[in-house]
Order: sequence, then structure tokens, then C-alpha cells
Amino acid sequence: MTAESTRISVIEAILGGERELANSLLDTYAAANGSYRRAMNEVLEPVLVEIGIKWAEENTSLAQGYVAGKVAEDTLFKIIRDEQDILHTQEIKGTVVIGNIEDDFHSLGRKLVSIFLQSAGWIVHDLGSDVSPEEFVDKAAETDACIIGVSAMMYTTAANIKKVRDELDRRNLSGRIMLAVGGAVFRLRPELTREVGGDGTAANGYQVPQLFAELLARSQRETLQ
Amino acid sequence: MTSMERVVAALQGTEADRRAFTMTLSLYGAKLTGCPLSEYYTSPDRYLQGQIAVYDHCRPDILFTPFAFAPEAQAFGSEIFYLQKNPPNVRKPFIRDPKDIDKITVPDIGSDEGLQYLLSSARLLADHFKGAVPICGVLASPLDLPAVIMGVGNWLEILLFDDEKASAVISLMSEYFVTMANSMFDNGINFLAIPMMFSNPRLVFEKTVKETVVPALADIFSRLKGPVVFHHGGNPLAGFLPLYRNIPNIAGFALDQHDDFSEARKNIGENMLLLGNLEGPTLGLVTTAHALERAQKILDNRRDDRHFIFATSGADVAWDTPMETITGIYDLIQHYGAGHA
Repeated sequence: MTAESTRISVIEAILGGERELANSLLDTYAAANGSYRRAMNEVLEPVLVEIGIKWAEENTSLAQGYVAGKVAEDTLFKIIRDEQDILHTQEIKGTVVIGNIEDDFHSLGRKLVSIFLQSAGWIVHDLGSDVSPEEFVDKAAETDACIIGVSAMMYTTAANIKKVRDELDRRNLSGRIMLAVGGAVFRLRPELTREVGGDGTAANGYQVPQLFAELLARSQRETLQ
Repeated sequence: MTSMERVVAALQGTEADRRAFTMTLSLYGAKLTGCPLSEYYTSPDRYLQGQIAVYDHCRPDILFTPFAFAPEAQAFGSEIFYLQKNPPNVRKPFIRDPKDIDKITVPDIGSDEGLQYLLSSARLLADHFKGAVPICGVLASPLDLPAVIMGVGNWLEILLFDDEKASAVISLMSEYFVTMANSMFDNGINFLAIPMMFSNPRLVFEKTVKETVVPALADIFSRLKGPVVFHHGGNPLAGFLPLYRNIPNIAGFALDQHDDFSEARKNIGENMLLLGNLEGPTLGLVTTAHALERAQKILDNRRDDRHFIFATSGADVAWDTPMETITGIYDLIQHYGAGHA
């Protein structure tokens, strides 16, 4: 099968909830073309972009998005398994720290974001749910991360993200470390990004790698100034 | 006509003096009575006072028991918190790790304070309004309750990929739901409204709905002592109505603000009760004129539809909704008349 025909079949499998079939198609493509890395780059990444567009247009279900994330995760594990020796030589885009803000336990979106970021070549430190502002900034400083990604589902918990901005300001790290924010409430209230001190947000998990690439560029510009 | 007669007329498709209507003003009763929400959502007496105030101000034809799922989540061990302008919510789900699913047990309805609050609120409302105004009980769907007990991600993972665990969880939820729902009926509610999220193909696969959700709901609803209104749960529903056609005990469908009534009618027939679809949670963000214009369009759209009740869609009408918007809708309904031919 060509990359194009495999892409079409993988999309159909994901949208139909056939996780195993999607994985099997990617296995076949990886075997025929030498690596899961190629299956990721030539098949799955374009598939995720297309599903992301459908998601933005509200043409996919939560379950379809979830299965897409699981298939990406499955493929990612296979890449890591096969490329243990060469992973350190591939281009790493940067290091990021992500987590749900304190009092927030809605982890689904964050987990998907982690998968999509890793698929795109980012080193991700996922701190989990209910993370304090100090923990976010401590980990970012410790790992030399350029971006902190904070998720919140509801307005009440999103308000806590402001404390991460305050902590970055207090340590003079704003600008060098970018603050990305996300979660359902930011789709409903886009103005909230500025209210909580965020440097940017994405409409969905599929768009996060692009957002982080932009924030990395901003961080590098501001660090040079 | 009394409100009860008006609602029954809509159910049966017979003539009424005016269009039956309701707004989800469960939360708004606290605002009208100046009651702190931590008290409103724990004291059945304060809840009743709030709903009496709601009735005095806008005479809805249906009143609701507390539209809050936090007491149910808390009964299963989740940690909840109270807000200033919204119903209580879940702070920490009981199950954080899917391997702990076996720790879920059915709460004792007779001794759990939160569940007793819901039941006592139902009883006080029914006693006060004495059958003149239908009382609608609100409970979380047995297919959605796991999401507030273990988190959306964990429940989705089980529902999609682990049939055995899904079956075990649904069995537990069914046991709880049937007992709780029937206790609500015993305490005087006339019907239940169940917001349905994980029953909608916008959230889960259609095959999951067909193979897992619908059979479970058919079994559960067949064991209830009264009828259910299938509430859209925040997602469009009209296009999926045929999926639920054979579930017993469904008296009607409450549609989403984006739903098209004509599509719903095409999919479910002329005789099923439909409710909707003025968006309630955003009424605080629009002008009264805009809200009334939208309400007028809905009424005009359903002018000849006898099996229709004008209602707000979504969750509660927002706390910040101006009183003139609510009374304006009441006045509009009063002057609109029966609507149908």
C-alpha cells in the first residue's frame, strides 16, 4: 500500500473505532518501508492533522479523538522500542513541562497533548494532575524547559493558572519560559488566556505542537534580547 | 388549566390554554432567595424556598429537583467543592487509577447525606406543590456517573477498550440508579430528566451506543417506576434519535440549542414529546431583547406542534441572567397562547 492509501485506511479505522486495525495498517507500512519512524512521518502525522481539522470543525467525536491519540501513543512506543540507540541523535525540538493546574483532575486532554508533543519530537515531562505553580516552575528550571503547558477544564481551576505566571515573574523567568494554557474552558472563553497570563493556547491537542514551536521561537527571541 | 394539565396535554397532544413551558431554574432559586450555595445544595428546606421563589416569579410549568451531580459523585467517594455562582462540582474523582475500579461500591441511599438531600428536596417540592406543578427529578445518567467517579479519560478507556470492566461498572451503576430513581418517584417526582453524555455518538462511537449503551438503558429504564425525559446532555441529539427509539419508558427528548426540531420530528415521529431549545447557561451573556427574539423564533417554529414544551436547553440558567429576561420569557409565553392550530 502507498502512503496515501494507508493514510485513507488508517483514518477510516480510527474514525470507526478500530484501534487494532489502525495499528495493524501502520505495522504493515512500517515493515514495508523500514521503520515506524517513517510510518509516523508519512502516514500517522498527516492523519492526525486531518483528524485535527475534523475535530476543529466538530466533525469527530470525543471517542474518535481519543482513539487517534491511543494509536499515536502505540506507534510512539514502537518507535521508542526500535530506536533506543539512535533516539539521542534525532532532532529534539525542545523540553517542556506539562500538567493540570492545582485542583484540576481532568487528565484526558493533557495525556493526548503529551502524546502529540512526543510524536512531534519534544521531550515531555508530564507532572500529572493537581500540580502546584511551584512544582511547574521548579521542574521547568531543573530540566531547562522552554515551555510550561498548563491545562484546566473549568473556569474555577483555570483561575489558578495565574499563580504559575506570578511564580515565573517572581523568579524572573517570564519570557525565557513560555506559558501555554489549554483545556475546554479556553475554547469557550478565549479571552481567558490573557486573563490568566498565558502566552498562547491551541484550539485542540493536534494544534499544540505548532503552538509550542511558535512559543519556542518567541522564547529564543526574548532570551537573545 | 394547571401546569400539570398543561404538561399532560403536551404529552398527549391535546388542546391547552397556552404553551407549556419551563426553564431550568434550579440554581436561580438560590439567587432569588440570597442563599449561599453551600447551604442551598445541602439543605432541602432552603432548596424548597428557592423553588417557591422561582415559581412566584415566573410560574414555570415544571419545577426541578437540584440540578447537581456532585452529591451523587460524593456518595461514591469523590471530593466535591462549592462555587459562588454555579452548582457544586467534583474536585477529585474517587478513582484516580483505573486499576482501583474494584473499589467502587454502591452507596447506601438511606444513610448518605447528599443522596438524602436530593430525595428530601423532591419530597418537599412534591408536598408543597401538591400535584399542581409537575416535579421533575434530575439524576446523572448511569452511563455518565462513572466519569465523575473515575474521570472522563478512565471511563472512556474502559467503555471503548475493556468490555468486561465496562460491563461490571455499568452493572454497579444500574443497581444504584434504579434504586435511587425509584426512591425519587416514591418521594413524589412525576418524571425524571436524565442528561445523557456518554450515550451520544458525539462522545462515543455509534457502535458503542448500539451495542453497549442502548441495551443497558433499555434494561435500566424498564425497571423504573415512572417516565424519563432523555436530555441532550450538552450535545446535539436530533440526528441520533432513531438510536433510542426502542428504549422503554422515554416520555420525551430535551433537545440541544443547535438541534433542528424538524429533523427531530422526522427522526422520532409526530407524537413524541420534544422540549427545548433556548440555551440556558448563556442567558446571562445576551440581552433580554436577544433572548426574547430567540424564544419567539422557537415558539413560531413549533406553532403547530402539540407535543412540544418550550424549555431552556443545557444545564442551569446562568446565575447572572437578568431577571427581566426570565420574566420577559414568562410574559412572552403568557401572551403567545396555545400556539397550535
